[in-house]
Amino acid sequence: MTLKITKIGLLFLVWSFAQIAYAQQPNNHWDAGKIKGERFIPYSSYNGFPFLTEDWNLGKIEFTNGEIADSLSLRYSSYKDELIYYNRDIWTMITIDKASINRFTFTDIDGRTRTFIKQYFDNFAKSYRFFEVLSSGEISLLAYLKVILNTTSAYHDDNGNLRNMAYDHSYQFYFYAPENGYTLVRMNLASLLSKFDKTEQKPIKKLLRKNKIRIQDQYSFIQAWKAIEKEGYKIIF
Amino acid sequence: MIVTTISGSAQVKKGLGLYTDRDVYVSGETLLAKIFNSTDNPSKIAYLDLVNQFGTRISGVSMEVINNESNGFIQLPDSLGTGIYLLRAYVKDTAEKLKIIRNIWISNRFDGLSKTKQIMQLAETQTIQDEITQQINIEGVEPIYATNSKAAAKITINSSLLTELSGNLMVSVAQTEPSFSSSSFLSSSNQGKDGLTEKKGIILSGTIIDKNTSLPASGATVYMTIPDSIPGFQYYQTQNDGRFYFHLENYYGSIKAFVQCFPSKSTQRLKIKMDELFAAAGNLPAFSQMPIPEDFKTNAAREIDVVTFQKIFGQDILKLKAAPPKLNEAYPYYGIATTIVDPHLFIDLPNFSEISKELLQGVKFRNYNNEPTLQVINTAVREYFSEMPLILIDGIPIRNLNVIKDMGTQDIKRIEICQIERFYGNLRFPGIVAIYTTKADYSIIPESDQFIQLKMEAIQLQSELADPNIKEPDIPDLRQVFYWNPSAEPQENLSIKFNTSSLLGKFRVVIRGRLKDGTMLLAEKQFEVK
Repeated sequence: MTLKITKIGLLFLVWSFAQIAYAQQPNNHWDAGKIKGERFIPYSSYNGFPFLTEDWNLGKIEFTNGEIADSLSLRYSSYKDELIYYNRDIWTMITIDKASINRFTFTDIDGRTRTFIKQYFDNFAKSYRFFEVLSSGEISLLAYLKVILNTTSAYHDDNGNLRNMAYDHSYQFYFYAPENGYTLVRMNLASLLSKFDKTEQKPIKKLLRKNKIRIQDQYSFIQAWKAIEKEGYKIIF
Repeated sequence: MIVTTISGSAQVKKGLGLYTDRDVYVSGETLLAKIFNSTDNPSKIAYLDLVNQFGTRISGVSMEVINNESNGFIQLPDSLGTGIYLLRAYVKDTAEKLKIIRNIWISNRFDGLSKTKQIMQLAETQTIQDEITQQINIEGVEPIYATNSKAAAKITINSSLLTELSGNLMVSVAQTEPSFSSSSFLSSSNQGKDGLTEKKGIILSGTIIDKNTSLPASGATVYMTIPDSIPGFQYYQTQNDGRFYFHLENYYGSIKAFVQCFPSKSTQRLKIKMDELFAAAGNLPAFSQMPIPEDFKTNAAREIDVVTFQKIFGQDILKLKAAPPKLNEAYPYYGIATTIVDPHLFIDLPNFSEISKELLQGVKFRNYNNEPTLQVINTAVREYFSEMPLILIDGIPIRNLNVIKDMGTQDIKRIEICQIERFYGNLRFPGIVAIYTTKADYSIIPESDQFIQLKMEAIQLQSELADPNIKEPDIPDLRQVFYWNPSAEPQENLSIKFNTSSLLGKFRVVIRGRLKDGTMLLAEKQFEVK
């Protein structure tokens, strides 16, 4: 009996110390930077899809004040070029202030880490934009994954409302160098070759053949650019 | 049972040191200090405070730790009585377990040593021992200099020692008092709680107490605002222990911080209890007493005269450096204003009700039956928010609308309005009305137990010795410190130049450093000014 009481006493003591120790600890991430934004207002429902990904993706944001926020549920809105996060503590979708973001990364459903940087676009429609970094180096290959609203022939949406608009992809790809700015490129061989000096185009074609690269989509384009970049060919901006 | 030891724990923890420009001071003077902090502690803030022989803290500063070293100064108050004082250096997380302590002598500028019969010395036998090294040579120092003359010293450091050195050197040339020498020792304890590590900056902490029960209040929201052109803002939601914590990151010099708390239930009445920024007194070392040597008395009297004249002639020994550039936020936490209204540009309006009606589109302020209400339109959905928006007066949140109801156009410099649902972390603001007053003195905000104004010193600004800058030939140069560089980068050859002042007496060139194995090094050379 005495042994039992002693054991209970000891357990109580351990519990008390654990409580004291616990009490000294502040809330988790109490000193992490706080995310600034406004409530996300859902977009009108049209055919097509306004977001880059169908699901929320776990990602990381690097803010302009140097703070880093990790393990956030993120979703990039291609339609508004803005980043939305789901605040699990308050069950709210929040559009993060674009001005506060430097860059963000997330892992998509295929397990690919996708990196976006905020850069000033000084060509037509000057503004800060989020570009996906497809390849980084002296010259970066960037994608502006824009979705626009286009007028279409009339249709009834899922709720039976008559609509005549749809979200359409209007993706734009650029080669970018800080000193030269942006140059638009399409995801095909002709457009890629046009970015090089005429005398270099033939050897580049040969190089791609040798590496068995056939530009068919975004991924083969990136592969082609990486092979060309490795050989030291320079883009003419 | 808490077992505390004040002992020569240099063996326990090596590589810690606290050094000052001199050992003997006069009240009203500035004390320069250098701390060699622990190399295995990630704290970015070190504290240095001055306590009297009874353990009462007199003043203190928080200093930035750069490469495990910190340096700064303490302004010794004019009112300090003559006697022995202790300097304590520590970092917050291990303050209860480890402090570096150094004794100094301070003579009161007005009383002198007239009432002092005995001198107290530390009875500690095991102090931090500095290893006098022959591998640092101080050359070119003459044994005697004339007053107000140019002098130079060449410091050569053995190349093998250079590889062994950890961090920077402290180099000083200052007056010395042969009959009193300070020493440092470690006050260490195996017991005591670990505090939070100040990895980013000073941590302000406290407890929210429920005034009805006198128990810690959980679920309270605590705000801290630091007014600025773009106000700094942090919040904390208390748990069962009622504790809250805020980081003062990248704040230097004197700052004002406003801490306020809001209960989870409207009936609850709360009280904010801030924690002391500095460590508790702890155990005091033992002192031994001995009669005051005559030389010491004479020199102390002379030093009092020197400091008195320094004060009369306004000879400041230090000049502060600018704070490092701060990575400022581009806009306030409450967002970029949808509308900014300057009421001065319009007709004079006597109260906020009139201002809202006439000037603030989308803002509804009503004062029916002396119960004011305020609502802001949510432009995204074109409806008024049903709740009260975040109301700020000069950046400080308020919830009592009676504070603003009588504000007229003469009182208001600018009103910023955000007509959206804003989020800051987990805080939700149904619109924002930020009022910037013409006085900007925060006097309009009523004081209460739930609202505390703190005037405090954040991280001390870096300083350097000021040039003598004596324009009139009749005014003597009264500097006691000729050279002070607490962070000299170790090189094989270092040269220092200094000018002697009008003071006579013994001076010494001192070089201190730390080896990678924790050994504290000392090289010194004395000279006299005649």
